[in-house]
Amino acid sequence: MDYEQTLGRLCALSGPSGFEERAAEAAAELLRPLVDEVYATRLGSVVGVRRCGQEDAPKLLLDAHLDEIGFIVTGHEEGFLRFAPLGGVDSRMLPDREVVILADPPISGVVACMPPHVQTAEDMDKSLPIKDLFIDVGLSQEEAQRRIPIGTPAAYRGGCTPLGEDLLCGKALDDRAGFAVLLDVLERLKDEPLGVDLYVLGSTQEETHSTGAITAAYEIAPRMCVAVDVTHGDSPDASKHETFQLGGGPVIGVGPNCAVSMSGRLKALAKQAEIPFQIEVMAGSSGTNAWPIQISREGVATAVLSIPERYMHAPVEVVHKRDLEDAARLLAAFVGTLR
Amino acid sequence: MTDLLKKLCLLNGVSGDEDEVMYGILDHIRTIPQKQEGEIALLDRGSPLRNLTVFKKGKKSTGNKLMLCAHMDEVGVIITRITDEGFLKFDFVGGVDRRVAIGKPVVIGHNKVPGVIGLKAVHLVSREERKKVPKTESLYIDIGAKDKEAAGKLVELGDCGAFVCQPEEFGGGLFKAKAIDDRVGCAVMLKLLEEDLPLDVTFAFTAQEEVGTRGAFGAAFSVTPEIALVLETTTAADLPEVEGHRRVCAPGKGPVISYMDGATIYDRDLFETLRRLSEENGIPWQTKEYIAGGNDARTIQRTKAGVRVAALSAATRYLHAPASVGSVADFENMLKLTRLFLSEMAQRLGEE
Repeated sequence: MDYEQTLGRLCALSGPSGFEERAAEAAAELLRPLVDEVYATRLGSVVGVRRCGQEDAPKLLLDAHLDEIGFIVTGHEEGFLRFAPLGGVDSRMLPDREVVILADPPISGVVACMPPHVQTAEDMDKSLPIKDLFIDVGLSQEEAQRRIPIGTPAAYRGGCTPLGEDLLCGKALDDRAGFAVLLDVLERLKDEPLGVDLYVLGSTQEETHSTGAITAAYEIAPRMCVAVDVTHGDSPDASKHETFQLGGGPVIGVGPNCAVSMSGRLKALAKQAEIPFQIEVMAGSSGTNAWPIQISREGVATAVLSIPERYMHAPVEVVHKRDLEDAARLLAAFVGTLR
Repeated sequence: MTDLLKKLCLLNGVSGDEDEVMYGILDHIRTIPQKQEGEIALLDRGSPLRNLTVFKKGKKSTGNKLMLCAHMDEVGVIITRITDEGFLKFDFVGGVDRRVAIGKPVVIGHNKVPGVIGLKAVHLVSREERKKVPKTESLYIDIGAKDKEAAGKLVELGDCGAFVCQPEEFGGGLFKAKAIDDRVGCAVMLKLLEEDLPLDVTFAFTAQEEVGTRGAFGAAFSVTPEIALVLETTTAADLPEVEGHRRVCAPGKGPVISYMDGATIYDRDLFETLRRLSEENGIPWQTKEYIAGGNDARTIQRTKAGVRVAALSAATRYLHAPASVGSVADFENMLKLTRLFLSEMAQRLGEE
């Protein structure tokens, strides 16, 4: 798996929560050669199925969400766009930020900011809430209203490029990096016989209400599920106690949202195969799709495998390539032990 | 003009490290065919303030009386320290509101090492903390180095980092790029250098404007003009919810003819001349409705026994930020008006 190339492609696509079509299309295309069947759910999630050929085989679901945080246009003022967040947008990232308005055809925008010359020092210490911000699209009020109706979604402009030798930096690595890991898992298992029917889910709307995962899990009815998402990576301004080392290996979740049998197995496999790993103890919700999936139908055994990531929800998220490879290696080994 | 401006905006030249821009401008000047030998002469290429000063002979030999000026440098960052973990501490070069730098990509040094100005995830920040912006001292640049040694192989203390922004057409007739301030001034001067001029003109492409109009001191002193026209950008705050007068000016309303800013009281006669030339020739123009900012004119005006100065600027949104926005029509009108100004000066200034 060439993560630089695959994420270079996936991260450049706009797919804010609720409007994931472009990313979903690419996800389906990437899944197709690796599975028996690819289909889309009613609410836009993408599912790839690889059957093991045994009757009544248990189903294992692997999930990574395709949506990214974004924006939605709520009004127009003098040609500028008022907007609301789709998902947990970090408003400190917004001043002078380049965005793409997903009109047809897409339109470039810049989040407007006041110049230093007309502000006081106190003004510049405050971060502006989203409700006080506008997106500049360089259009008149009339043009803006005509071409960008209320309800038009928008996303950060960006892609994914290398940072230093080992890291990748881009927007939407949360959670396209997770999806790339799932593709890698499928690649690694390509010629291996399976003991389970493997469902790979590229879910929609995780950043808002987990709508895609909730409804896809119902449809698929798996026995077990591993959610692959991102967790906080180390940066100079964050405590070492609340972040994980980039390059320190995938992070295995432990706690009520993570079935002991599954997290136990992941830990044992990692040690056996000498794959570096880290442990994240979560006292309640893991903050991933594993939380709602766990209570699908009669219940699902869930586990969480996370990629350490710096600057979560910024358009310049950073991950370590080796963590992606190690996560795929570990997850492929895990799938291999299931019968 | 937009093609030339795109090329210029892609060059990196943070104050104190403008050579890439200077050589880019020189390369362009070298492609200009000269009608006679010495028609275009380099008066100063680099030393000691790293300005580029070029003289072009015109129809009337007025010598050094008229100077045009635009600065080559842009705001950015400079690396002050490498941490043990391989992150870079930095300071801003020029007046940058740090809120526009957070989470933005930068390119560092002559090896153009990519980096990002990082900030820990919002999830790890309390509600109260979220309302404030961390001080510059707590910001850092991530270049993906695993430790101090690895980082030290890629960057050095004092390396400059420029912002990143793809120059392109934007919205209805606008233009978005980094460093429109002041590559648009440089573009206007380069376009004029390509033309036959009605009088001799000295073109001063100055360095270090953003850290105190430093290059202009040396340039003005060496040239000793009588009249100088500064070609710049100026802040537009024409955003919704900004009261009328605080908007300062707006892209699309024409070049800004300054009568006064935070650092200079411009020559009234030159102001009136520019205004009259605009009105007589159907060129839209506007003026700043808020006294703020400053540029090389303040230094040129107070050189030696004094120089009469005027300034013509492109109204630009998000100045001193990676993605600035101006109007293509304004840029073209700046060129037109400057051309008319040259003709006017050719009539007024005597021969050497």
